[in-house]
Amino acid sequence: MAVVRYLAFRIVNALIILFLVLLITAVMMNEYVEDQIRTDIRERAYQEIYRNPQYAQWTEEQKQRAVQERIKFYEQQYGLDQPYHIRVLYRTVDAMMFNFGNAMVLKSAGGSPVVSDIILEALPRTILLFTTGTIVTIVIGILLGIKAATKVGSLLDRTISTFAMFTYSLPMWWVGMIFIFYFSYTLGIFPSGGMVSIPPPEEPMAYALDVLYHLALPLIVFVFVNFGGWSYATRSIVLNVLTEDFVNTARAKGVPERKILYGHVLRTASPPIVTSTTLAILGSIGGAIITEAVFNWPGIGRLFYQAILNGDMPVVIGLTYISTFLYVFAILALDFAYALLDPRIKVGVGGGR
Amino acid sequence: MGIKDIVSEFLRFKSGLIGVFLLLIIVGMAVAAPVISDEEAGYRWYDIEWWTEKNIPKGVPPEWVGIIEGREYASTSEFTYRIPSREGYRFTFNISYDMAADVPPSDVILYINVSKAEGAADEEYIVVMNIYRPDGTSLSRVLDLTTAAPLAKITLSTDEKARSTIITFMKKYDPENFEDITSRGLTNVIDVVKILFSEAQEDVLLEKAPPLKGEYKFEITLFRRSTNVTFNEARLVVLGSAYGIFGTDSFGRDIFVGIIWGARIALVLGLVVAIVSVLIGVVYGTVSAYVGGWTDEILQRIQEFAISIPLLPLLLILAYTFKPTIWNLILLLIVFSWPGPVKTIRSMALQIREQLYITAAKAVGASTSRIVLRYILPQILPYTFALVAFAVPGAILTEAGVSFLLGAQGTLEITWGRILSDAERKSAVLTGMWWWVLPPGFMIAISGLAFVLIGTALDRVLNPRLLR
Repeated sequence: MAVVRYLAFRIVNALIILFLVLLITAVMMNEYVEDQIRTDIRERAYQEIYRNPQYAQWTEEQKQRAVQERIKFYEQQYGLDQPYHIRVLYRTVDAMMFNFGNAMVLKSAGGSPVVSDIILEALPRTILLFTTGTIVTIVIGILLGIKAATKVGSLLDRTISTFAMFTYSLPMWWVGMIFIFYFSYTLGIFPSGGMVSIPPPEEPMAYALDVLYHLALPLIVFVFVNFGGWSYATRSIVLNVLTEDFVNTARAKGVPERKILYGHVLRTASPPIVTSTTLAILGSIGGAIITEAVFNWPGIGRLFYQAILNGDMPVVIGLTYISTFLYVFAILALDFAYALLDPRIKVGVGGGR
Repeated sequence: MGIKDIVSEFLRFKSGLIGVFLLLIIVGMAVAAPVISDEEAGYRWYDIEWWTEKNIPKGVPPEWVGIIEGREYASTSEFTYRIPSREGYRFTFNISYDMAADVPPSDVILYINVSKAEGAADEEYIVVMNIYRPDGTSLSRVLDLTTAAPLAKITLSTDEKARSTIITFMKKYDPENFEDITSRGLTNVIDVVKILFSEAQEDVLLEKAPPLKGEYKFEITLFRRSTNVTFNEARLVVLGSAYGIFGTDSFGRDIFVGIIWGARIALVLGLVVAIVSVLIGVVYGTVSAYVGGWTDEILQRIQEFAISIPLLPLLLILAYTFKPTIWNLILLLIVFSWPGPVKTIRSMALQIREQLYITAAKAVGASTSRIVLRYILPQILPYTFALVAFAVPGAILTEAGVSFLLGAQGTLEITWGRILSDAERKSAVLTGMWWWVLPPGFMIAISGLAFVLIGTALDRVLNPRLLR
């Protein structure tokens, strides 16, 4: 029962976080969004009255009055006659229901101005690049980390530690710029950006290959910058476990070293590694704004960048919500996993991660 | 553990010492910026006019590149000719320039300084320039213009007459490429100064001909319509093809100047954000742990909320809504960074809370604030040095990212991120201007590395978990 209470508590917590982040965004964006809606309404009202042959013989004054009436009608429909706090609240609740409305400037490839369409179009591309990258990074990182931990002080171990420290403070997007310079500009073996060639190949097979070709460079950059940190972290965790008494006991018993490592040590070391893996994979869906901008990769991150540049606030709100949602959902998923697997977790004061 | 012990322990770590060394270099740059560069440069970085007047070649690599490549890059040279005052309306004189470099100059600028008689109206005069090349060929009327400016400034690379004259001159040596370039409408992309100093041969219009070394004679003729105009002097500036330590960007700004002034912002921002947010986090975590109960519960929920906010998107929105000055940015970064260390600090404080001397203090009747401030915080404080060191790279990286994305909408200070942003917008990467992209990124990486190294060493010295 305690587990159910714990999970319920966590879900409520997550919902509150989502609500508050959206509220902040809505408060800040409100002015831009409403300005846009008001302009839209005016335009629509004028068109309805002045373009309609029915009203052609009306006097200018009559038309003006009719326009004002239409404007008032639409404002009521959009809830613009409500007080400020109600309007902001509406906008927040709307967004929470994934109802982001229409974009002001941006459009999906199919020409749809609906924000959810635009985001759904960009989402798989980001997953393709960053989730793939994260998985590759983690696999390489963990394997190297284990290797380094079993050979502490070796050349491999020292190289990894140094490399991890150096890449820790390396901006991924800057490395992207350098790689584009070297591999695209100087050597000319990779395209300098984008997801497909222009014009894109017609055949599905050729299209897929073309995407892979464009994917290669940003993927390499992602792995290059991130795997050092992963190996270093894995190394530290595994090293910690290796100093525990039960490892010595196993050694004293004569258990083969391989079996100690894979049977005993890794099993003990896995929870924190699983945690970071889950968080990283879920976090990768949000993409990386600047890296996508540098590589001109048409995913979530570049969409956010374009939305900011164009002042397209509905898209900004939608993306903020999606990225917060993913983040909170990732934490929630972890809580669930732990609550089911680890009996020690209970609800209560001070309970938590 | 006293400060002395910490220092002597710290000095045992080689990596920490490297970190300190790197940090000292960056601090040195930041402190020396107003001394080793023009002090005005600090706030004139975005004043392109101001930079143009300094006659710095645009978009050229660093000077040391020549040594590595084993090629000689042209350096900037200036020739002044004082025009003797005399009767007559026509003045002709020569300025010769000996081009000995493997990489020809990037531009040629001609200044004509004129004064007029007291009370006379501005009067037009004519400037004509012919160029005699070392291979015996000559270009007549490369310049032919009428102006009334008291100080005429004519830039060869942008002057329409000069461009068309030089391209037409080279056309007969490279007719095929001329057709191709004209049909594609790319004539305005040609670097005319480079081809002026090149051998007249095939592919010269593709800028692929070797440089033509030797003496170039610039024959300048000035005409006046009346004696109200007096020609004082002519100045010919041949801009070099390499400049300074880090080269220049395509606006003609010295990248080295940007780097050293950027160091100030990076250090101030990184340190202020890290120190303030870690301090807030430490006090917050300690109070939360010590007071416990519902206060702890509420404080922990607030912290979880604050740490769940995706940083970069919200920073961008905020920066978009408020005009971002560097101090606004620092404030925003603090607002979003303080929750970072809270969990660690809280668990440390929870352990300390259970110690006997705290119970003793409580029994004696010490107040909560006294126990927190006098007995718990001093125990935690040394470790916060490591936390601060680890927080700095994140702050610098985030600032660089925000500046990179916001570009001209960002802060008005010189930041490394903004230099990279300008480079990206001018597609420095795709035009091969690596010297515009490498230094700022390296500085971000090096300053981050310095703090990580220091932090790791401090962590080993101070972290209670790692003490054996």
